Amino acid sequence: MNIVVLVKSAVDEAELKADPSGHPLLKGVSMKMSTFDMNGVEAAVKLKEQNGGTVIVLTLAGAEAKKAIKEAMAMGGTKAVHILAEAADAPDSLGTAYCLAQAVKRIGAVDLVVSSEGASDTYQGEVGAMVAEFLDLPFIAYAKKVETDGVKVKCEQGLMGTVRVLEANLPAVVSVVSEANVPRYPTLLQVMVAGKKAIEEIPLASLKGPDYPDTGTEVLDVSIQSASRKKVLFDGTPEEAARKLAGALKEEGVV
Amino acid sequence: MTGAVLSYSESPDLAGEVAAAGAEVAKLLGTEAVALELDEVSAGLRTVNKVVLVKGERPLETIADSAAAGILEFVKARGFGALLIAETRFGTMVAAKVAARLTVGSLGKGKRLRVDGGRLVLERDVYGGRFTATVASRMPCVAVVQAGAYKAADASLGPTETVGVTVGEPKVAITQTKQGQHGEAGIKSALKIVSAGRGFARKEDLALAQNLANALGASLGCSRPLSSDLGWMGEEAHIGLTGAYVHPQLYVAIGISGQLQHVAGIKDSKVIVAINKDAQAPIFQVADYGIVGDLYEVVPALTKALKQG
Repeated sequence: MNIVVLVKSAVDEAELKADPSGHPLLKGVSMKMSTFDMNGVEAAVKLKEQNGGTVIVLTLAGAEAKKAIKEAMAMGGTKAVHILAEAADAPDSLGTAYCLAQAVKRIGAVDLVVSSEGASDTYQGEVGAMVAEFLDLPFIAYAKKVETDGVKVKCEQGLMGTVRVLEANLPAVVSVVSEANVPRYPTLLQVMVAGKKAIEEIPLASLKGPDYPDTGTEVLDVSIQSASRKKVLFDGTPEEAARKLAGALKEEGVV
Repeated sequence: MTGAVLSYSESPDLAGEVAAAGAEVAKLLGTEAVALELDEVSAGLRTVNKVVLVKGERPLETIADSAAAGILEFVKARGFGALLIAETRFGTMVAAKVAARLTVGSLGKGKRLRVDGGRLVLERDVYGGRFTATVASRMPCVAVVQAGAYKAADASLGPTETVGVTVGEPKVAITQTKQGQHGEAGIKSALKIVSAGRGFARKEDLALAQNLANALGASLGCSRPLSSDLGWMGEEAHIGLTGAYVHPQLYVAIGISGQLQHVAGIKDSKVIVAINKDAQAPIFQVADYGIVGDLYEVVPALTKALKQG
């Protein structure tokens, strides 16, 4: 079966710094595959191993995404399709989903599209659902388990406390949660081979049809959050420290 | 005039909150606020908004496909200015589907909404909650509203209008449901939370955290490893980026190191307390009060100190 896995190249959010005005310093910051997308790739590769077929890594990003693509290929991707979009032209979530869906159509004969629950940088978790709508395919989100017999896909969906078993006919779109699996660490050989696998590049503009959703969303500002916490530590024996803490909580009026 | 501001949540606990967000945005736009309810009006819903009950030829709230289809049929007939949906996994799916079907702007999920120059503006977390992105969209558009930013109105319901829709068969079938103890809203609205992390050596030891929670009248939550890798607690207890975002008056983190993804879910707490044996643990950087020490000694001592008043 032919599986497309959606991968996003993201900045390492823990290492991101702000400039003096509080805006993120994105220039030169290291990029990687979005953490949760590793679970998406793992799920796709596992299904390929069980059912045979191909895993096509699909991403929409600028040239900096080469590292994320290589990481996904090393995990077991067969080939990659890279929709080239420099940061200035990067579409919003709906535009991204539209272009990803167009690319899936262009790839052709796709049985399953796998995404993760959300990107580690923005964590909106909406692109998978939107891709499914643009392709008019069934969508199962937040899958903890994915099984397929090549005709249907069956998933366990976690809705925070409620677990449901859902079924849909293929082709379909599935998003997996980070609890779904433990992503594999590629071997050195796999990393080396990954560098030689085929990457097809598609210019963003070539995917935009007359029905491209121009929704007029705009990011007005991105600024660092200021966390002003008291950071008071209480010392002494556990009993002394606990008494001081209990006193402070009473002062705060929270106990 | 801008179309109505619609609000929706499948969670009865959050429907009143998102309706309050709808009321505020509608007031800014000078338009009507409508609380959408699917299948039946939630018992206990409190809102000053007009309530519209949407009923299909089949239940709508069973699956995101049908819920989205029900809302779509309603807005196709009536139009809208903005659709606000309370943040849950189910709500996130419905919002994305509706935005894609209507090809209208999706602002994503955030807390504070405002109107600026005829556009709806939402502030949302990015980069693991370390930064805030301010995003605008022309209307109509869709936004997902996180719990805690708006307070449900203290009002009983006015008359309800019922609207019938035909949604067709969903593309996804439910073959089995294992209902959890708590709804998705469970820990999101808790006023006090005691939360346990990897510092606990055994599942049985969580009794220490539970005792403290009992003494405080708090709900028990956890960091991701306890609900996923270890399976000691249900996933509805998981607090953080991929779990629940919480906003209690008091958050007590016990044996939690404070990774970025956990902190993303707790930073709106009023008072954060950390108990951890590692003085270098990042949790102390985001805490108001901390004790560096062995949780097996500190937690029982704190429980005792609180009981003694």
